[in-house]
Amino acid sequence: MKTKGCLIAVVAVVLIGIFSVVVWYIKTGNKIVRLDEGVAESWAQVENVYQRRADLIPNLVATVKGYAEHEKTALTDVVEARAKASSVNVNPEKLDAQSLQQFEQAQGNLSSALSRLLVVVERYPDLKANQNFSELQAQLEGTENRIAVERRKFNEVAREYNTYIRQFPASIVANSRGFEKKAYFEAQAGSEKAPEVKF
Amino acid sequence: MKRILLIFTLLVAAFLSFADDSVFSPPAVPTLVADNANVFTNGQRMALANKLNTISRETSTQILVYTTTDLLGYGIADFGQRLGEGWGIGQKGFDNGIVIVYKPKTDSTSGEVTIQTGYGIEPLIPDATCKRIINQEMIPNFQQGLEYKAIDDAIDICFSLTKGEFTADEYSNFGEDSSVGSIIVLILLLLVGYVLYAAYGQFTIGRRPSFFSYLWFVLSLIGHSSGSGRSGSSSGFGGYGGGHFGGGGASGRW
Repeated sequence: MKTKGCLIAVVAVVLIGIFSVVVWYIKTGNKIVRLDEGVAESWAQVENVYQRRADLIPNLVATVKGYAEHEKTALTDVVEARAKASSVNVNPEKLDAQSLQQFEQAQGNLSSALSRLLVVVERYPDLKANQNFSELQAQLEGTENRIAVERRKFNEVAREYNTYIRQFPASIVANSRGFEKKAYFEAQAGSEKAPEVKF
Repeated sequence: MKRILLIFTLLVAAFLSFADDSVFSPPAVPTLVADNANVFTNGQRMALANKLNTISRETSTQILVYTTTDLLGYGIADFGQRLGEGWGIGQKGFDNGIVIVYKPKTDSTSGEVTIQTGYGIEPLIPDATCKRIINQEMIPNFQQGLEYKAIDDAIDICFSLTKGEFTADEYSNFGEDSSVGSIIVLILLLLVGYVLYAAYGQFTIGRRPSFFSYLWFVLSLIGHSSGSGRSGSSSGFGGYGGGHFGGGGASGRW
């Protein structure tokens, strides 16, 4: 009679143990999914602001062309760099170091082509006085700030996710469900502190 | 609610460990006028605070005026964005906050000003408009030493551009959804609790717990699930709303 009671107690304890492990596993898995979604959302914002910059370029190029037609190289550089940057596609499910680096390189090329163009236009006072151009440069400046902000926010969200999935015991769940570490944007000179767009 | 609070605390802690400067964490006494560079007279500071508090109370849009002599090495736009995000200017979900940062001109450094717009303000005051406010309304006044007028005018323009877009009514409705939800939860809890209470009395021989202990139990449950009521005094400033900033806006220097 006594042993039977003991047995029931042991079975109950084991069952409760299994049950709580299962509940923990599901809860941890859900939290990882939530953090992962946060990273994806943040990535979408990053792409959004880069797209915003790309959208400004045709207008910018057209405006500059009207005043500074001789600056063909600087203009074509920007157009080509924009096309290249737009062709880089990153799978938001798999933000690994390699794909992020490719993205970053293409966007970086566009940034430097743009700044070369903006240095060149310094020589055209008529263009600088143009209302359309000054609005464009205000928008471009704001967009560069947005890019810096969204990159920083992405890094923060990715860091939170990475820290969580690599910590024991959540790492067990992450490994078994195939969640991988996300890459960060490199804090190169000018990405942590917003670059100043000077005209 | 407890868990939300915990997550929030963790987030704040995480945020604090990333931000290296405590300037970007909200002050103990919330205010919409932080005149660290001492550019206003007491009367001007009061007038600005009154205006901004009224705007915040009536439209839920929050405008922060921040003056400083030291940008801590940040670009002024970056500084303004971090300030807005860190303090949570504007309402959560609406992101209707605006931050104006002003650094007075000194003998060795140029004067700088920025208007940073929250995500929700970006479509109402585009970057080019911010730039125009700065170049046409603010910088000419700053150059003449009319600092109060420069900032006051900018506030008026920003206010007129955002007026009608966000209203305090709409904002309180925004919060009401959840209170309808909690009323339903409350009724359900009362029902379920009463059925259990009645059943307990039917099937047990032991002493039936008093009706008051049942009531106390239900009420303590409710205490956990709600308690997010918004408190705002009729005068003064109720507090920051947790709005977000994405770097929109413009800056200028002279």
